[in-house]
Amino acid sequence: MARRNTYKEDEVLETPFEVRHLLRAFVYIKKYLGKMIFALVLSAIGGIMGLFGPMITQHALDDAIPNKNVELLLWLAGALIFTFVVGVIFTTIRSRIMINVSQNIIFDIRKDIFEHLQKLPFQYYDDRPHGKILIRVVNYVNSVSDMLSNGLINVILESLNLIFIVIFMLCVDVKLSLVVLAGVPILAAFMLWLKKKQRRAWQQVSNKNSNLNAYLQENIVGARITQIFVREDENSETFGTLSDRCRKTWLEAVMYSNLMWPGIDNISVWVRAAVFIVGLIFMGTGNVSLGVVVAINSYSARFWQPIMNLGNIFNNFINNIAYLERIFETLDEPVTVDDAEDAIKMPDIKGEVTFENVTFSYDESKTVLKNLSFTVKPGESVALVGPTGAGKSTIVNLISRFYNVNSGRVLIDGQDISKVTLNSLRSQMGIMLQDSFIFSGTIEDNIRYGKLDATEEEIIRASKTVCAHDFINRFQDGYQTEVKERGSLLSQGQKQLISFARTLLSNPAILVLDEATSSIDVQTERALQQGLNAMLEGRTSFIIAHRLSTIKNCDKIMYIDDGGIAECGTHEELLAKKGHYYHLYTAQMEDIA
Amino acid sequence: MNKPKSKIAWLWENMRGYRIIYFFSIIGTIAYNAMQLVVPYITAKIVDTFLTGKNAAENINTQRDLFYQLIIAMVVLTFVRTLIVYLVCFDVEHVSQKVLYRIRTYLFDKIERQDMKFYSTYRTGDLMTRLTGDLDAIRHMIAWVIRSIVESVALFVATAIYFIYMDWRLALSVLAIAPFIFIIIILFKNKVAPRHKALREKLSLLNTAAQENISGNRVVKAFAREEYEIAKFNECNTEYSQTNRKTAMTWLTYYPYIETFANLMPIVLLVVGGLFIINGQLTMGEYVAFTGLIWAIQNPMRQLGNIMNEFQRFSAASDKVMEIYYSEPEIVDHPDAIDLTERIKGKVEFKNVSFQYADGKLPVLHDISFVANPGETIAIMGETGCGKTSLIQLIPRFYEPTEGEVLVDDINVKDMKLHQLRKNIGLATQDVLLYSDTIDGNIAFGDPHIKQEEVVKFARYSAASDFIAKMPEGYDTIVGERGVGLSGGQKQRISLARALAVKPAILILDDTTSAVDMETEKQIQHSLNELDFPCTKIIIAQRISTTKFADKILVIQDGRITESGTHDELVAKKGYYYNLVQLQTGEEA
Repeated sequence: MARRNTYKEDEVLETPFEVRHLLRAFVYIKKYLGKMIFALVLSAIGGIMGLFGPMITQHALDDAIPNKNVELLLWLAGALIFTFVVGVIFTTIRSRIMINVSQNIIFDIRKDIFEHLQKLPFQYYDDRPHGKILIRVVNYVNSVSDMLSNGLINVILESLNLIFIVIFMLCVDVKLSLVVLAGVPILAAFMLWLKKKQRRAWQQVSNKNSNLNAYLQENIVGARITQIFVREDENSETFGTLSDRCRKTWLEAVMYSNLMWPGIDNISVWVRAAVFIVGLIFMGTGNVSLGVVVAINSYSARFWQPIMNLGNIFNNFINNIAYLERIFETLDEPVTVDDAEDAIKMPDIKGEVTFENVTFSYDESKTVLKNLSFTVKPGESVALVGPTGAGKSTIVNLISRFYNVNSGRVLIDGQDISKVTLNSLRSQMGIMLQDSFIFSGTIEDNIRYGKLDATEEEIIRASKTVCAHDFINRFQDGYQTEVKERGSLLSQGQKQLISFARTLLSNPAILVLDEATSSIDVQTERALQQGLNAMLEGRTSFIIAHRLSTIKNCDKIMYIDDGGIAECGTHEELLAKKGHYYHLYTAQMEDIA
Repeated sequence: MNKPKSKIAWLWENMRGYRIIYFFSIIGTIAYNAMQLVVPYITAKIVDTFLTGKNAAENINTQRDLFYQLIIAMVVLTFVRTLIVYLVCFDVEHVSQKVLYRIRTYLFDKIERQDMKFYSTYRTGDLMTRLTGDLDAIRHMIAWVIRSIVESVALFVATAIYFIYMDWRLALSVLAIAPFIFIIIILFKNKVAPRHKALREKLSLLNTAAQENISGNRVVKAFAREEYEIAKFNECNTEYSQTNRKTAMTWLTYYPYIETFANLMPIVLLVVGGLFIINGQLTMGEYVAFTGLIWAIQNPMRQLGNIMNEFQRFSAASDKVMEIYYSEPEIVDHPDAIDLTERIKGKVEFKNVSFQYADGKLPVLHDISFVANPGETIAIMGETGCGKTSLIQLIPRFYEPTEGEVLVDDINVKDMKLHQLRKNIGLATQDVLLYSDTIDGNIAFGDPHIKQEEVVKFARYSAASDFIAKMPEGYDTIVGERGVGLSGGQKQRISLARALAVKPAILILDDTTSAVDMETEKQIQHSLNELDFPCTKIIIAQRISTTKFADKILVIQDGRITESGTHDELVAKKGYYYNLVQLQTGEEA
């Protein structure tokens, strides 16, 4: 596994070639192909209508005005208005279609990336700053839409335009046309050189912006820590450095991007100069007529306009591919914990949990669990104790299949959990994690998260069970109190009680409490325990706690040390054994007494 | 700071130092637009003189020098023109990036120094939108919008004057269309301004929704709520997308009229000009001069709509940015704050302190009074939500008491400089927040220049050195954001080491060892007693084992101190504390 990423490091990306990305983007375009073709046709017709303008004007100048024919002049003006209006209508319709198409494409990509993120395992979120994930979902997706919709149509239009001009030109005179086309290899060489530089530069821009976003998010969340450690100056400086890097990479990127247009412009002028010189020299020898030189000169001018437009689109592509490849990278992120192909729905859980020779490590360097085996009978309550970092949380995380085991099996009611759908498994489990995350919204919303269709009574009952009802009621808005994202409103203990209520509400068959009550005071916990005991009746439960008073009534206590079970038994049995647990317990009692 | 009258004035203020070079780019813009008119003139001259003119065949032989001169002039002028364009582009990019940098770092600094009230008002995703998407609209203003305005206005005015000079009647008949376009653009502005406001609101909501989902990914998975989250996000995604559509469609509602009026200009020119020619009031040559430049009137008119659209985007975004730019925290240094030059001694005193959160409806603390003398250990106990955490947050002045005084070394904390006060306090919060950085970097957070040995020492004090040493990369192990990858107890110990590493005169531990096992806690307790620097300790704890040796124990119930004294005194009192001891010694089993 790669090292965890931070704001200090750029994300690695190995993508040699970008055409692949464009082809892949076609998946998103395909759905709207019909509309896009329609828009293309409208544009083409609009373009053709535009050609009538100069013809009509010419007619007015050559015919109506010299002949003082006012009526004809007005008729021609009317005709001009007609062509313009038709052109405007077509353009408007095309734009309407394309706005919808491009918005749909953004919507689809964003939806896909978000849905994929929901499937990604803990590991993905643990390995990189969240700001770097966020920027992909929001900012990058916004950037690529125009390229995929209008960009594509314009490429086709401009290319068609270009092909027609080249054909016309070749029809007039092959030799002089070749002079014009001689500019193309020069241009190609120039663009190839530019592309390489540009691509690197835009990748850097996306990297640096990603770093900035990561740092920004972390610092907004951690503002209080910054303040207590009086780190404002240092952090501002770091942020300044990151901002400055964004600035520099951006400038470098536009330095290359902005070369495109002047480059094409200059090459086009060289070509026109060459046409004049070569044309006139040929004319001296009588090979070329005057009209041909005039015609080729005017085609040469028109030849470069679409090329310039294509150059701009190309610039845009190069720029946005830096974002597109990041989006695809996220979409390609393997879902390591996923439903097996023939996964079945987990039947109603009775609650027997078995570990069969389970070995597990977060990364290759350190094995956390070694060949662990145990069985818990339905309805049993199991306490996991042991030093921090021994692997207690890991064990309970494996029961919900938050991670895949390296070898061995985890079975519930005899069913290998890697063979059932994640949703059917996890929706029957109640897991209370160490980190009691509270969403912004009302207290009620937060509790309801455990059971979306819960009635008010159910919510209140769950809150009463965990002793949260009283303090919630003490807020003026009660259950409707808005909990702000980093609000000072709730104490850590209160947050734990709310997430406890949330877990209970989901009415799980297996309950996992991972340091669920660490921030709750002893008396509240005591009261909570009484309500809880009733709840635990008949449910298998796993409890991790350091406060031994919390766990000594459990049916089974497992002392976990160094990735294995060192001791297992009831409170009394383990005390009698005079081993690790005894040691732990007496130490705790001594301290208090 | 005085708030400038307008957004433009604010932007101008932030462009200081770059105004002159920005001015150059404006001059450059005008220059290359002028040159754009010259090159076609040269090509026309070549064609006239050597190809289609009367004596073309002769000229090619007799005036070959002129021919080459013109060709060279064409190539060189183009080069110079494109060079100017390039430099102008680079110049505006440079200035816009500098200003972006300036505003962004200023905002970051501003956000960092805000008080808690600010943080409970603004959500992370919203603040991030202001520092990314909104700032981009401001960058775009400098890099593109202003330059386009100058370009359009210059082109329009210059051409209009030229037209009037040539033939004022014909000129006015063409220019008469311009007011209609202006009216349409004003109408468009009124419609699109609220759309842009709505759009950036929706973007902010989208950002917030995604941000919260990513932060809460563990809970989402634990409850298998992926589908619910997707539905929630889809709602934001749809709304954002719809608002985007509406904004673009607003433009498309007005675009046809602007385009039609702009296209009417050459037609009016043709009809009126034609009539003038027919009546002998205008020569063909003058007419051709008009048509040759009509684009210079038309294009600025077309561009105006675009400019207005971008300007409204800037306007909506700058409202949001300026709100933060000019927000002032309420908790700041007093102008005559005392300048502490020495390390404080560590006396902490609460005098009749009552406190209520600004957004809360009920008081949290009532009439709290106590003294912690330098070097003493004060333990605070009480039920969940009784006000313990609120109390300690008054010491580093995260909040201010509604009544009473908090004194440190007999000085009201209000009269101290915030950074000097906080430098003397080491706080390990309940909600452990580590940074995605190395363990070493996290411990050295409060003092980045601390030596490696010291980091190790403080890790040892907080009983973290053992598990750190067991990690493959030791102190260089990177912990994920918010310390993921570490167990709760491990996080708490790193956070404790971080607080100790600043060698504070006042150490505040807010239930810092709740997830630590008993034995480790004992070790920590031991080292806390043997710190090699003088330190007053204020410790919130649930366990009697932690509080037992404190010089004073405060029991808080419903925001009031109900019991205070040493362990023995309180046990003798047979009150709340006594019950707690009974409970924890587990005699009830």
